[in-house]
Amino acid sequence: MLAAIHLLGRLALIRPRFAAGYLIVLTVTILAILAPLIAPYSPTEADSANFLQPPSAAHLFGTDNVGMDIFSRAIYAPRIDLTIAVLGTLLSALLGGSIGALAGYYSTGHGIRVWLSFAVMRAADVIQAFPVFVFAIALVASLGQSIQTVVLAIAFVNAPIYLRLMRSQVLSIRSMRYVEASQVNGLSDFQTIVRHVIPNAMAPVLAQLSINVGWGILLTAALSFVGAGVRAPTPEWGSMIAMGFQNVVTGQWWPSMFPGVMLAITVFGFSLVGASIEALADPAKRRQLLSDARQRDRKKAAVEQPSLERI
Amino acid sequence: MRVLTYLAKRLAFVIPQLVGIILVSFLLVKSIPGDPAVLMLGPTATPDAIAGLRQSLGLDQPLYMQFFIYLKNLLHGDLGTSWQTTRPVLDDLIQRFPATLELVTLSLLLAIIVGVTLGVYAARRPNGWIARLSDAYGLSAGALPDFWFALVLIFVFYTVLHWAPAPLGRIDMVVIPPMPITGAYTIDALLAGDLEAFWSALSHLALPVLTLGLLNAGPILKMTQATMEKMLDSDFSRYEVLSGVPQRLVVRHALRNSLPSVVTIISVLYGYLIGGAVLVEIVFSWGGAGQYAVQGVLNSDIYPVLGFVLFSAIFSLIVYIVVDLIYVLLDPRISN
Repeated sequence: MLAAIHLLGRLALIRPRFAAGYLIVLTVTILAILAPLIAPYSPTEADSANFLQPPSAAHLFGTDNVGMDIFSRAIYAPRIDLTIAVLGTLLSALLGGSIGALAGYYSTGHGIRVWLSFAVMRAADVIQAFPVFVFAIALVASLGQSIQTVVLAIAFVNAPIYLRLMRSQVLSIRSMRYVEASQVNGLSDFQTIVRHVIPNAMAPVLAQLSINVGWGILLTAALSFVGAGVRAPTPEWGSMIAMGFQNVVTGQWWPSMFPGVMLAITVFGFSLVGASIEALADPAKRRQLLSDARQRDRKKAAVEQPSLERI
Repeated sequence: MRVLTYLAKRLAFVIPQLVGIILVSFLLVKSIPGDPAVLMLGPTATPDAIAGLRQSLGLDQPLYMQFFIYLKNLLHGDLGTSWQTTRPVLDDLIQRFPATLELVTLSLLLAIIVGVTLGVYAARRPNGWIARLSDAYGLSAGALPDFWFALVLIFVFYTVLHWAPAPLGRIDMVVIPPMPITGAYTIDALLAGDLEAFWSALSHLALPVLTLGLLNAGPILKMTQATMEKMLDSDFSRYEVLSGVPQRLVVRHALRNSLPSVVTIISVLYGYLIGGAVLVEIVFSWGGAGQYAVQGVLNSDIYPVLGFVLFSAIFSLIVYIVVDLIYVLLDPRISN
């Protein structure tokens, strides 16, 4: 764990954009937690006398068409967006990952489990053949529109990704000697999978998690944008963009632009974090990064050397 | 003959999958609350009228019977009727699918131009500024929500600069749309020799195509860059360089060898965009197939949703088959 953090720190130094990614994610998370302390106005109360005010000292991001303060709403929004996306992503990894591990472990041999594993893969094919957005919106519509169902929709739409990822990992791990050894030592299949297979298959799943949180935020915002996700006045970036839609066409850009910029930066941050985990999980890329780091250290040392001698 | 066996094999795999897709979407949209009969007749309908309509729609049958009725009708080319437009879904889709296809195809072309060009340049100098730029572009393009980026473009090019037309459909309201032949306004207008309609359709296409094209170039760029780097690094390219072959030719040969993987990612993107264009369609009131499906979901109008899912699945299927044939053209080694 400590080694991982140390590695992350060095990585941030060599690749500044990874550092930017961690900074963005950290900032948005802090904003979401501290929103009640930072926000100058209530995120849901409208001041109907001051609607569609352009950005000013009183209203940093201006006000929307019913008079709600856009800055306050924009920093409250990650509470909803992040929660939905993180829960949905974790759920999809749990669902897809565990089924994928089983499907990979039982993919050869004979018996009902092999058939089940085959059937599961074909089911994943069917789910992935759907147009993602229409599938998600139909799921939300049939389960009833609420925050929980948006979480479920994200989980369900993304589960096949983890299913495939975990399965392909497990396929290569299950023939390893240590898996064989644990079977020979009398561990049950379940114990073998949980203790020895899954921990060794986790790295690409972790990289995917961060990228998927970004997608989850985009999907939440998109669903809310068409009115099928989180409903106004609950502060949420997508529904804020939708509220400002008509105003943008007539020239009042601020109700839609600010939430959109925050949304884009947040998703960008999560994909950078995902890229950094991916780089760490890939031994070849990690070696390259670390050799870059050593070179840098050497250069720095070479620069510092003369000044030391002068003293 | 070989093509026929190939097609037969392909269909043997695909038809069960297609039935699976129809089944899942059927169960899904059937579980959307709301009774079509009540919605069609409105709040003033008598219970008798509702019961009568339910019977004629087959809604009083058990679910599995309804599914079989739908499948049976499907075989006769009947995709059901939309209660919102009160027209057969097949007619609606034949009218709307070309609108989506025109938008998506042009967007894909833009994405290919941007992605392949940047990818090739980035691969030639992996540490140059174009490589850095395309790296940043690849990461940020995927992070921008398309419906918001469309709005930014509308604000800049319509509201401020007045260069683009209002985001209200595919053609100016005062311009008469051309006679539908292919369903794509630009092509139909050219076929009819109607330049005014052609320019109007083209100018309405500009912003949505820019949105989808620029935001979806990322995967093509990444794939082109990665394979080109590998190809330029491989023995045949090094040998060419050593033999003094001009750089332009070396790059061209490397690109030729990278095409199979680039074509793969393009085909995946094509299938994805049919459904992925929905939000942009909504922003520009495009009246395409995706927008039709979303309207269906939001109003418990199930047949448009089923029809759209079916159409896009079949479209993806056709794209994949065409791509398989292109592979053979690109790489004669895999012909068997």
